[in-house]
Amino acid sequence: MKPKRISNYLLVGLLLLVGGLVGFLSVHWHLATPHERTFTITARKYAYDPAILRVNRGDRVRIRLLASDVTHGFYLEGYDLDARARPEDTTFWLRRPSAGNKYQPVEEISFIANRPGKFRYRCSQTCGYMHPFMQGELIVSPNYLYFTSVGLSVGLAVGMLLIFRRLPGGDRP
Amino acid sequence: MVTANPIAEATVPTEALEPPWRFNLFARWPWLKRLVRMRSFQFLVILPNLFMFYLFIISALFGTPVGNRNIIIVFVWILWWFMLIAVLVPFGSRIWCTICPLPFFGDWIQRRAVIRVRTGKSPGTENSFFGLHKRWPKRLSNIWLQNFGFLFLATFSALLVTRPIVSAAVFGILFLVATVLALVFRLRTFCNYVCPISGFLSLYAMTATVELRSVDKDECLKCKSKACIRGSDKGWACPWNVYMGKLDRNNYCGLCFECVKSCPNDNISLFVRPFATSDVVVRGYDEVWKACIMLVLALTYSVMLLGPWGRFKDWANVSEARNWAGFGLFAAGQALLALVIFPGLYYVSIRLAKWYARADSVPTKELFLKYAYMLVPMGLLAWIAFSVPLLMVNGAYIISVASDPLGWGMNLFGTADFPWTPLRPHWVPFLQVPILLTGLYYGLRGLHKVGRRIFTDPAQLHRSLVPPAALLVGVTLVFLKLFIG
Repeated sequence: MKPKRISNYLLVGLLLLVGGLVGFLSVHWHLATPHERTFTITARKYAYDPAILRVNRGDRVRIRLLASDVTHGFYLEGYDLDARARPEDTTFWLRRPSAGNKYQPVEEISFIANRPGKFRYRCSQTCGYMHPFMQGELIVSPNYLYFTSVGLSVGLAVGMLLIFRRLPGGDRP
Repeated sequence: MVTANPIAEATVPTEALEPPWRFNLFARWPWLKRLVRMRSFQFLVILPNLFMFYLFIISALFGTPVGNRNIIIVFVWILWWFMLIAVLVPFGSRIWCTICPLPFFGDWIQRRAVIRVRTGKSPGTENSFFGLHKRWPKRLSNIWLQNFGFLFLATFSALLVTRPIVSAAVFGILFLVATVLALVFRLRTFCNYVCPISGFLSLYAMTATVELRSVDKDECLKCKSKACIRGSDKGWACPWNVYMGKLDRNNYCGLCFECVKSCPNDNISLFVRPFATSDVVVRGYDEVWKACIMLVLALTYSVMLLGPWGRFKDWANVSEARNWAGFGLFAAGQALLALVIFPGLYYVSIRLAKWYARADSVPTKELFLKYAYMLVPMGLLAWIAFSVPLLMVNGAYIISVASDPLGWGMNLFGTADFPWTPLRPHWVPFLQVPILLTGLYYGLRGLHKVGRRIFTDPAQLHRSLVPPAALLVGVTLVFLKLFIG
């Protein structure tokens, strides 16, 4: 009885591994050469335009931030960047949250998108009722986590269905 | 004559699955049993909550209207919500109902006592209750009202979770309704059939790792007094109108522990059990729709609150954006998705399951009801995945608001100026993925468990699992796309 139980776990583990690997490799083979990408982001209550930035890993990303109504923030998770922009002001302020330093005036935000995946940028200046939910997305390809997770989900489901086939049938009274 | 809660009464012990193991907490920790048997137990655990509730209402009325600076918004919709969905429900079943302040005054008025028990002959009980003690209409004795109530509140969720005054108004109304219903109807009618929070707690409590049950069910069947449901001089008649001899699911047990006090045979205990394993029986269309509504709301909240699309936020944020057409579209779309489209997809998967399994003899209704359990663990885990970023990103507000609960510039604990500092927000996706996969795992496992109770032929069983499993994978992929894709 026991060896069969172990083999079931192994089967699911194997299919999880295969699913995850297929997902991972499906994007790994489509790596793009790095480019320079420039965006002008306009922040307004309670959204950014553009709401989604798509870049490739290794791209140099340059961002200019504008605020159209009230003061807004731009906290980019995963990249340790926090900016602040005021309406009718083309200069904005930037700081490194982890360093705890103060905002410095800058012309643009510039960084290398060296971490793949989906990262949210959020408003860091209380701007109104829906402020905590004001956010946009930076998607850095290849998004390994997403495609691996898709593979894992499919692998898990297929593995479990196969295991169910190996188990005895119904026990309806 | 004992007339049990119609929802709970429908639970037939033979259909439930015994957990593979369960651990008797009262036997292991007698002090815990002594604690819950204290007559003052529930009052003592509600009291601090009642005080907080009062503070929240004061804060909403007199504090800052800025949500992330007001304790009612930060403590309720960031801290309480996360604790409820990620900790209390999966590990404590309906333990929130033990300490919920909403029915407190209703109970007090009905019992004319906060702690002591009054014996008497109010219909169906051995206790004396004040009020009209009417029966709740039978056709409303289900969770449809809770389904529609929660969906209605969810339509205004953008206002509810950002405006202190809206939160206070909703809690105030619920408080009032709970009290008035207690005057007119018997026992906890509000909790059983009306409270919108109770509806989803009942659904997700099925997965919980604890259960209050009889130690020996045969003892209950032999018991003449039925003191658990009728009450005695030791404890009040079950406020949820549940008879312990038939209780086999957590759904409608509010963990008030009155039955532990009143049971003359000392036959009721709190047990620990594995997660999402035994209460796998979904019974009634109201419960199926609850599962669908909750899953869809986890999805629409993820789009509206956690997504980058400003248009949806504007539609939901109607009192500020004044886009009534957009709001109408949002409200109608959400309702359509929750009440028609997703249940329709689920129905199609069930029809496909029946066709693929060549199971003409199995009623579609039976498959539709029973296979719906797969949506329960999936829905709970999807809600947890949704709630993780709320706490990790906005949890810093808890620290600042604790010192300045009304946003008046106080600094009670010296943390009022604590800056908004998201806690490792880039780790959130790495937490959401295993959470969703766990939901998928338990959903599929539940599906198989339920299927084994329906089909005797293994080939039919396995074929019948494929279409609903595909739907569950599809749901997982949609959440993955929203969270990390």
